[in-house]
Amino acid sequence: MKILIVEDEKALLDNMLAYLSRSDMVCEAACGFREAEDKLAAFSYDILVLDIMLPDGNGLDILRQVKKSQPEAGVLIISAKNALDDRITGLELGADDYLTKPFHLPELNARLKAIFRRRKFQGHQEVKFNEIVINTDTHDALVNNISLILTLKEYELLVFFIANKNRVLTKQTIAEYLWGDHIDLQDSFDFVYQHIKNLRKKITAAGGNDYIITIYGLGYKWSDA
Amino acid sequence: MLLALLAFSIGGTRVYHRFRFEVQRETDFTLKESFDELEASISSGVKAEDLENRFMRITPVSPELLDTAMILSDTIAEHPILCKTELFRKLVTHRSIAGQSYRFMVMNVIIEQSDIKRIAQHILKDLFIILGFIILVFNFIFLKIMLRPFKITIEKIRAFSLQSNETPVFSKTTTSEFQQLNDFLSTMLQKNQQDYRTLKEFSENASHEIQTPLAIANGKLELLIETPGLTNIQLQLVEETRDALSRLSKLGESLLLLTKIDNQEFATHTPLDFSELLKKEISLFEELATMKGLRFSSVVAPAVQVRMEASLARILLSNLLKNAIRHNVDHGWINIELEPRALRIRNSGTEPPVPTSQLFQRFQKSNGSGKSLGLGLAIAKKICEVSGFRIYYQYEDGVHTIRVEF
Repeated sequence: MKILIVEDEKALLDNMLAYLSRSDMVCEAACGFREAEDKLAAFSYDILVLDIMLPDGNGLDILRQVKKSQPEAGVLIISAKNALDDRITGLELGADDYLTKPFHLPELNARLKAIFRRRKFQGHQEVKFNEIVINTDTHDALVNNISLILTLKEYELLVFFIANKNRVLTKQTIAEYLWGDHIDLQDSFDFVYQHIKNLRKKITAAGGNDYIITIYGLGYKWSDA
Repeated sequence: MLLALLAFSIGGTRVYHRFRFEVQRETDFTLKESFDELEASISSGVKAEDLENRFMRITPVSPELLDTAMILSDTIAEHPILCKTELFRKLVTHRSIAGQSYRFMVMNVIIEQSDIKRIAQHILKDLFIILGFIILVFNFIFLKIMLRPFKITIEKIRAFSLQSNETPVFSKTTTSEFQQLNDFLSTMLQKNQQDYRTLKEFSENASHEIQTPLAIANGKLELLIETPGLTNIQLQLVEETRDALSRLSKLGESLLLLTKIDNQEFATHTPLDFSELLKKEISLFEELATMKGLRFSSVVAPAVQVRMEASLARILLSNLLKNAIRHNVDHGWINIELEPRALRIRNSGTEPPVPTSQLFQRFQKSNGSGKSLGLGLAIAKKICEVSGFRIYYQYEDGVHTIRVEF
């Protein structure tokens, strides 16, 4: 998966590069409008991560260009929290998804993978992890070809885990991914444990391995090690 | 006018006393003159009986009673013509003329005190009316013509808003004091506006710029968590740091939002389907409420149209709903009612430690809920203000009620 990240803030860009490069992604970076234009003219990418607010131009113009020159590329736009109009325009122009700043890196990772699946395997979207197969079209999860009956949250949790395999996911990151920003209304994120427990139980009941490692007091990690 | 009235009462009393004194002096003088005439007449041989009249009595007396002092006094006697009692001034003295002692008594009608009083009052009343009239006319002219530049200035100041970008332009005036005032105001207002703009820009920039380093720090910490070989304690320290950063980031966002509303960056008021929006927000928050064990109920009137900015409407609703969830009690409840002209959100909760009106102020936290920033209601109030709504907060017997009237 080849990705171009367009972000003017160097340190933020470094964070994304560092995080995404640890998985099976090839990442390139553009620090501004001009650099992004040049790179897009020379190379093709699977996904473009695009900050709309750029100092030397509007990211939406890049989006328009990409939709003409590389229509098969997926686009994820990054916008400021309250810039709702930009977000809507972006989606209307053909962006696949959006994230608002600030976001969690595992979330960016999961979103990129989802876009990649939709773009690359049209009509046949599958996520595989050893004995676990997830059809993201029908929202079916199979363990050794046995269908799991999962709640929506459990299903999303499973996809999120596999997208971020071998990475530490804190309870907060999981909670915000599944329930949104307002989850901070809860006094603690301990309820995440209940969903993890159920998911774990359902997978092992179907004969699957327990890949979820608990990191005490912090969160969880999906690991095949 | 009141002051004039006071001056007139004091002046009036003085005039009255002065008048009375003068009248008495004049009367006494006349009496003495009459007496001198009588004395002269008697000396020249005119018979005392012939000189007597209604106001003069000359009675012969024995010489041992002779008292040459002139005694002046007030007396009341019947007026011979008017046939009623009047106040008289009386002069009594004794003289011995041509070997015969006489007692002289001369009387004259004196102007009554009440008459003097009436005259004084009358004069003063006339004066007062004339003076009042002159003052009024003068005031009118003064206000209309002389103070015109001043009034214009006042009007301009009244119309002045610190938030607007227009600086009032004061017209030139020939009165140097007003010109000075105008110059001073002009400079001051421009300076204020400049300061306000700088401050506004600063708070907006500060809130905005703070987000990037926070996002960077947050990302670095996420990378740090990934680093192999960290102990649990280290990981927890990282996570707690991240938690604090995320709070800071939310605080910055809220302050930025407040500033943006203040700066009228959400000016568009388009009609919007409030019912639909509310239903959407309710579906978002219902699960969160249920997760906290709260009973959630709502009655939403269909197709309620409200004129306001869509994103502000969303923020308003989510802030109010969050509030109702956060400041609740165990096994509590939330009830939402949307009527065509008002939204009411009620929830169970403990009594707030400060009066409910104060809860709309920034950083006013009603309980120790560590995750609350204390800005939710301040933002809600601000949104209501710019949208032309009224918002009320009430607490009664364990029930918090927020009412928004469109």
